[in-house]
Amino acid sequence: MAEFSWDIRSPLDRALVSGAYGARGDAGVLLTEIRNFDLVQVMARRGKAADMAKAAKGRFGVAAPETPKAVTTADATLIWSGPDQFFVLSQGGKHGTGALAPAFAASTSLSDQSHARVLISASGAKARAMLAKLSSIDLHPDTFAVGTAAPTSMDHTSVTIWRGNDRVDGQAVFNVLVFATFAESLWHTMLDSAAEYGVNIRHSEELT
Amino acid sequence: MRIVCPFCGERELGEFTYLGDAKPVRPAADAGEDAVFDYVYLRDNIAGVMNENWYHGGGCRAWLKVTRNTLTHEISAVEPAPGAGAAKVDA
Ligand SMILES: [Zn+2]
Repeated sequence: MAEFSWDIRSPLDRALVSGAYGARGDAGVLLTEIRNFDLVQVMARRGKAADMAKAAKGRFGVAAPETPKAVTTADATLIWSGPDQFFVLSQGGKHGTGALAPAFAASTSLSDQSHARVLISASGAKARAMLAKLSSIDLHPDTFAVGTAAPTSMDHTSVTIWRGNDRVDGQAVFNVLVFATFAESLWHTMLDSAAEYGVNIRHSEELT
Repeated sequence: MRIVCPFCGERELGEFTYLGDAKPVRPAADAGEDAVFDYVYLRDNIAGVMNENWYHGGGCRAWLKVTRNTLTHEISAVEPAPGAGAAKVDA
């Protein structure tokens, strides 16, 4: 009988090869897959949007985004994903479905997406140029400032993209959540798009 | 063509799916065969301004009602379709 291994592995386990890729020299793009996160989709039940907003304020101390924004708290990021719904991105189980249920169960449906999405962070001097080839939304800093989010499509694939806090060196950081089964395809597309700038590839267990 | 989603902002056509005329309304159960036939099968073919249902599947996944001129593709209004966004129902 076949032996199965049920170890949790990233959908990019085979595709992601750490190190340099594409043009040589200083890498214009840093691509990091973040492999260890809790992701919960919070959706208001019919007529319960106000109750959901109240619960979010009570749980996180900040208002949940009601427009295409990402709001960062001390230990979680709330990312708008559509009318009356948002993602909670965190680590360590503190804001997993079980932890959120007491506050949200009366007003929302919670859905654990932790292993259903892949999280890719793109930064570096050419990250915006690389993403602009794949995206039809305007990523110019005047329009896509820190904290701006967008549910959109890249290479015909549904993604949620948002701009995180800038790196310590001032470079913009773009975070992309993609469905796990489409992650490898989008990953290769990103590598093709970034190759001319030189890429530094890594994965990380840390959100920041 | 670009559509300004009331939730997401301006997006390209490829993120949307066209459903068709937004005018037909499901007739009452006792409305009779002609009314049901009309609702299911008959559609106006307007050369001009009409209301249409569009689905923002490549974005927020909301249903939208778009007012579009079929001759010029000019869009004069976009609003959430009834029920789009749980807050818009029974709020
Ligand atoms: Zn939308």
